Amino acid sequence: MNTFEEIEDQDGIRLSWNVWPSSRLEATRMVVPIGALYTPLKEREGVQAFAYEPVTCKMPCRAILNPYCQIDVRGKLWICPFCLQRNQFPPHYKDISNTNLPAELLRQYTTIEYILNKPPSLPPIFLYVVDTCLDEVDLKALKDALVVSLSLLPPNALVGLITYGTMAQVHELGYSECPKSYVFRGSKEYNAKQIQDMLGLGAVPSMRPGQPQPRPGQPPVAQNMGAGRFLLPISQCEFTLTSILEQLQQDPWPVANDKRPLRCTGTALSVAVGLLEAAYQNTGARIMLFAGGPPTEGPGLVVGPELREPIRSHNDLEKDVAKHAKKAVKFYEALAKRAADKGHVVDIFAGCLDQIGLMEMKSLVNLTNGFMVLSDSFNTAIFKQSFIRVFNKDADGFLQMGFNATLEVQTTRELRVCGLIGPAISANKKSPCVGETEIGIAGTSAWKFCGITPKTTVGLYFEVANQQQQALQPGSRGLIQFVTLYQHASGQFRLRVTTVARNWAEANSPEIPASFDQEAAAVLMARIAIFKAEIDDSPDVLRWLDRMLIRLCQKFADYRKDDPTSFRLSDNFSIYPQFMFHLRRSQFLQVFNNSPDETAFYRHILNREDVNNSLIMIQPTLMSYSFNGPPQPVLLDSVSIKPDHILLLDTFFHILIWHGETIAAWRKAKYHEQPSYENFKLLLEAPKQDAQELLAERFPIPRYIDCDAGGSQERFLKSKVNPSTTHVSPGGYGYNQQAQGASIATDDVSLQVFMEHLKKLSVSGSS
Amino acid sequence: LAQVTGSFGNLSIGGQSRGGPTSVNLLQGPPNVQEFDGPAPTPWISPESSVSQAPTSNSDPKYKRCTINAIPQTIQLMNKCKIPFGLLVTPYRHLLDGEDPVPVINPPQIVRCRRCRTYINPWVQFVEQGSRWKCNLCFLTNEVPSFFDWDPETRGHVDRLQRPELTHAVVEFIAPQEYMVRPPQPVVMLFVIDVSYAAVQSGMLATAARTILDTLDSVPNTDNRTKVGFITVDSALHFYNLSPNLAEPQMLVVSDLDDTFLPMPYDLLVSLTESRSVIEMLLQRIGDMFKNTQNVGNVLGRALQAAHKMISPIGGKIIVLQSTLPNQNEGALKAREDPKLLGTPKEVSLLQPQTGFYKNLAVSCSPTQVSIDVFLFSAQYADIATLSGCAKFTGGSVYYYPAFNAARSEDAMKFAHEFSHFLSRPIGLEAVMRVRASKGIRMTAFHGNFFLRSTDLLSLPNVNPDNSYAVEMTLQENLTTSLACFQTALLHTSSNGERRIRVITLAVPVTNNLADVFASTDQFAVASLLSKKAVERALTSKIEDAREALMYKLDDIMGAYKSSFTTSGQAVQLLMPDNLKLLPLLTLGLLKNTAFRSTSTVPSDLRSYIMAMLYVLPPEMSMVQIHPRFWALHALDQQAGLPGADGRIVKPPSLNLSSEKLERHGLYLLENGFEIFIWVGRAVAPELVQMLFDRPAYDAITAGKTTLPTLQNDFNVRVNNLIGKIREVRIQMMTTYPQLYVVKEDGEPSLRMWFLSQLIEDRIDASYSYPQFLGVLRERLGKVGTA
Ligand SMILES: [Zn+2]
Ligand SMILES: [Zn+2]
Repeated sequence: MNTFEEIEDQDGIRLSWNVWPSSRLEATRMVVPIGALYTPLKEREGVQAFAYEPVTCKMPCRAILNPYCQIDVRGKLWICPFCLQRNQFPPHYKDISNTNLPAELLRQYTTIEYILNKPPSLPPIFLYVVDTCLDEVDLKALKDALVVSLSLLPPNALVGLITYGTMAQVHELGYSECPKSYVFRGSKEYNAKQIQDMLGLGAVPSMRPGQPQPRPGQPPVAQNMGAGRFLLPISQCEFTLTSILEQLQQDPWPVANDKRPLRCTGTALSVAVGLLEAAYQNTGARIMLFAGGPPTEGPGLVVGPELREPIRSHNDLEKDVAKHAKKAVKFYEALAKRAADKGHVVDIFAGCLDQIGLMEMKSLVNLTNGFMVLSDSFNTAIFKQSFIRVFNKDADGFLQMGFNATLEVQTTRELRVCGLIGPAISANKKSPCVGETEIGIAGTSAWKFCGITPKTTVGLYFEVANQQQQALQPGSRGLIQFVTLYQHASGQFRLRVTTVARNWAEANSPEIPASFDQEAAAVLMARIAIFKAEIDDSPDVLRWLDRMLIRLCQKFADYRKDDPTSFRLSDNFSIYPQFMFHLRRSQFLQVFNNSPDETAFYRHILNREDVNNSLIMIQPTLMSYSFNGPPQPVLLDSVSIKPDHILLLDTFFHILIWHGETIAAWRKAKYHEQPSYENFKLLLEAPKQDAQELLAERFPIPRYIDCDAGGSQERFLKSKVNPSTTHVSPGGYGYNQQAQGASIATDDVSLQVFMEHLKKLSVSGSS
Repeated sequence: LAQVTGSFGNLSIGGQSRGGPTSVNLLQGPPNVQEFDGPAPTPWISPESSVSQAPTSNSDPKYKRCTINAIPQTIQLMNKCKIPFGLLVTPYRHLLDGEDPVPVINPPQIVRCRRCRTYINPWVQFVEQGSRWKCNLCFLTNEVPSFFDWDPETRGHVDRLQRPELTHAVVEFIAPQEYMVRPPQPVVMLFVIDVSYAAVQSGMLATAARTILDTLDSVPNTDNRTKVGFITVDSALHFYNLSPNLAEPQMLVVSDLDDTFLPMPYDLLVSLTESRSVIEMLLQRIGDMFKNTQNVGNVLGRALQAAHKMISPIGGKIIVLQSTLPNQNEGALKAREDPKLLGTPKEVSLLQPQTGFYKNLAVSCSPTQVSIDVFLFSAQYADIATLSGCAKFTGGSVYYYPAFNAARSEDAMKFAHEFSHFLSRPIGLEAVMRVRASKGIRMTAFHGNFFLRSTDLLSLPNVNPDNSYAVEMTLQENLTTSLACFQTALLHTSSNGERRIRVITLAVPVTNNLADVFASTDQFAVASLLSKKAVERALTSKIEDAREALMYKLDDIMGAYKSSFTTSGQAVQLLMPDNLKLLPLLTLGLLKNTAFRSTSTVPSDLRSYIMAMLYVLPPEMSMVQIHPRFWALHALDQQAGLPGADGRIVKPPSLNLSSEKLERHGLYLLENGFEIFIWVGRAVAPELVQMLFDRPAYDAITAGKTTLPTLQNDFNVRVNNLIGKIREVRIQMMTTYPQLYVVKEDGEPSLRMWFLSQLIEDRIDASYSYPQFLGVLRERLGKVGTA
């Protein structure tokens, strides 16, 4: 069997279980559901797409021919493993033989991409929605970044610009006489029809009846009408747009000293959505919001303009005293649904020391799979570099972004799909593969992604449908087929098909625990926990996580009843509890040290990243550098903090280089600048180089911190490491016996204490 | 010091001896229309009778004239004479060529009566050895300030009788601080320009933009304080950011018209000087900006609200250029013209506003010192009746260019001339006007474009130089002095940013002799006042009632005269005092005027426009509208059309407005203030045709709106001189550039009819000829007894 990583490399998929129990009952006993972290458009080196149509099964199945199909080369037949129907190969497959098979039947093409023979889609649209309530420096930085971005767009991409402050302005880029914009009141909620009427997009009743036909050789007047005035190919409007951006001024309306500037973010976004939905349904489009502060005006207001009114905190939300929150969330959710329905992505780039209302607006990004970048200002590397990275291109020079993707799942009959957790919306496909249990976005076997990148990773959850244990045929296996239809950045329509097969096993077969991918499982469970946390109270979620962990240990650990010292976990389960320990104390679930915006941001990122990145977020990695040897990963534990070491902490969101006291003192004394201390210089540089490598791949760009022992920035490190050296008393510091006995420990407990309790509870069998 | 005081002799008023009225029998012959060309009658008192004895002591009739130049002393006498008693004031009139400017004075203190607040003027009296002055309106004595005799700077004696306020009836004081509630406002011009399909296609937009552009240097802009702004309107509003920091103007479209808001807090109204290049760029491009429009919507109502919002913190002018009927949103109007109603009693409904929106808006503009001028260009129904309300209550004007088409050079030229003059003429801002009169005289009504703030205080956000105001008066009690005075004070901010008070004082002697009252009556002023009253009557009642009122008033005056001054032996005659002998003709002219004529052929827009004009025209202009000038061009005498001794173009003698004057071989010019017609007789001499039109013969002449060629021959030069002179005066007097129409004797019927309908001594349709009219008058007067 291939390693999990090899499978991931080929198919972009990691499963919690790689051998499946054959009955529903047994599956539920395994505690962690059968789940997959799937990266539909994962970039695979050296694998190209095929420019022909896939062979599909008859209606209504439509499953796609794959290496797991039985074929009859003589009869030119194939049997669909999902519906068991026989299908004739199409006429052009007449030369098929066992030595002459099309790619889709070869084992190395369990994942294959087809370029469909469809007329290309319209080029992608980029609609910038730009906050002008910024200080001069920030506005300048943002303008510069936007101008630079124009050169990164494909020349045929359509661009548009909306600026906003007290009011929202839609710039008519197709107007050649002078800069022209349509102004909308910030304080008002416009419906889609009003927006379209006001922009002159629909049928305009006031136009002259019986207008003359354009004379031959003259452009029809209609070119000046419609949404095409606002969204133009960058090649046509780069000059205009650049000069508008360069001349862009701060919002002109005066702001009193005791007030926040009026920012009608909600209106600006609703105008953007209204503009796109009028004319560009199902065309790939990104609404890119650049917000320098919270909405303070009109629909979607997050905080009032009075400075004495603070922006809501987690406490306010918990106590239900955040007076605007529910209304704002509802407003942005409605907007997000409209955008998502029409296939338009919303990205949010925040450049603000304070919150901008991401908590309220997150649905826009989460439902459409947009980007969310949180930075202190637009004049930071985090913003500037992250923004540029949005426009990264593939080897062929195409943007690494697809649009309007649908992911459909087919399962063989023993398996059903429970739902998906990820940046998608339901495509409402009620097929027979839809399971009874609901996890995440459920009740469908297809999901829609307005935007999709090679990194977009979703969590998919399955259940076993067989009620009874059935006699298994040897080698019998279940299949899942993932079919992703999307618009490639080139305009091509492409279809990515991944078919995975896994063996069924009898209950209690050792193959099942041996197939456990604890990393994938931890990430899949983390996604469920966060999905629940978004709906439920976090204490409930923590209790649920604890209960699941204890049950998993009870089921799969080796122990004698009531003897914690006998507790053993096999290797492929052994670090799962540690992941859970760190997940419990992570910012994903312990929200009170963060703002609601940060929480929304962290959760958003976890919800779209693959297993490796997610694990870094859950349990940050720590590398240690010293003269004692080559750099090595060390425990994320306070024992790793040593005066003569340099540590490189990667939390995914932060990259921190910490210098022990001795190192820091030497560095302060500038030893590394002396030729005789070349080694020290190299030691100092090593973590920096490694950090650069980490930064190179990451999106958004992490916050980079360089600090010394005892410095204030050290807290980022201290908050992440396991406090083993601080809380040594195993007597139960923080131990809190809950009524159900499910909760293991409070936040400050060390991993060691956590494990003690886990063992105790697992062996007692009390859960 | 005080000399001419006390009472004047009945027949030697002001030292001048005048006889009683000379009766003229109107039936003896055609009216003597030469008198239209004579000078305006003046008060029966010599200006030298004033305290300073200066020839400029009494108001020039061009600024202010009274209908009667010797005022009845008693209520009884006033009632008996039946002559309408009123004033016609044109306080801010544009100076004509060669006229002296109004003296501007900046005394240490403005001397006014303690009780009635009258400004010291040439008609006060100095009493108590000149230490006090007696108010000529309320007769209170007030202290004379020391600076009247002593200049503290030169430490020398000065002659108070040299002071302009004592030598000039019309003066302008620079007002001190206490006359200001805020710093004087700058000139503000906010253009609200229609950019709908019709506005663009007709070339209005392009012509307007070019004219503004060409006139920018002439717009009043003292100390670079002038501000301008633009809103263009179709079914949306377009604002323009004209910040001086911009490389080019930015257009901001507001199509959310649920209520009115401005898209920016500033830079929409900008300094003409600082933003000059951006403004020029806008004006150069604005034609192209809308060249492809198909939009036929117009939301003028919202545009005006936005415009008002934009300039209300400062005040100023909103200049509306409108080609289409506002047809959307607030203030939308219906194309309600209904030919079936024309000529019927219901016609008046078309002359009244169809919505109160524009009047209400105008009324709300007034307190914020905002006036609205309306330029209308519609080829279809423009609803002047409704839109003129904007101007009426804000002291603005209405300009009308029916079926304007810039491709016709005459149309473009007329509009460009008028608009250019409009933009460059001096402006009086944030003004109020108060009219005071001697004790015993009361104002009863005001006519003109303004908002009446209290019983005698007229609010004029902008003082329009063209506009005249009529004041109706009555005697409240018998007058006790020999002199009645009327003082008008116009507090305003001049274009150069000074707060000023223009004071106009008119002194008229008082008489207890009915003969003097008749003999001193100014028939032109009476007709002018009656025309304004008739407009009001028509609009509040119906046109027929206005006509009846005109007839009734004429009957009344003639009856009063007959009963007092004719003997039974004269019963077969139709007698009028010599100075009133044209009043029947003027009345006939009014009855036949486009405003009041009984006809079903005058579109309601035109009717409304002429009524709006008559309501504000100064008397000189209303005379020529009521009784056009008519000259024979083919028989010009030696001097006519050439500069005379005084350098002015000599006018030919006026002809009676009768087709009897039209000879087959003749060429005639007729001018009514707004149009010039050249009538060409069928048998006109080809040489004349060649000289005037550069055409070989009658048949080759093109009729209609046209421009005469300028040729190197005496006849052409003289006619062009005459037309040029008319236009020069009209543009200064009324911002009007009369259009020239050539009418051929056998030409297009409607054009012929238009011309002929102005020959008011003729019988036209069912109307009376002048002789018939006199017959009717005589009949009606038959019942009136004689003296
Ligand atoms: Zn099938
Ligand atoms: Zn007085």
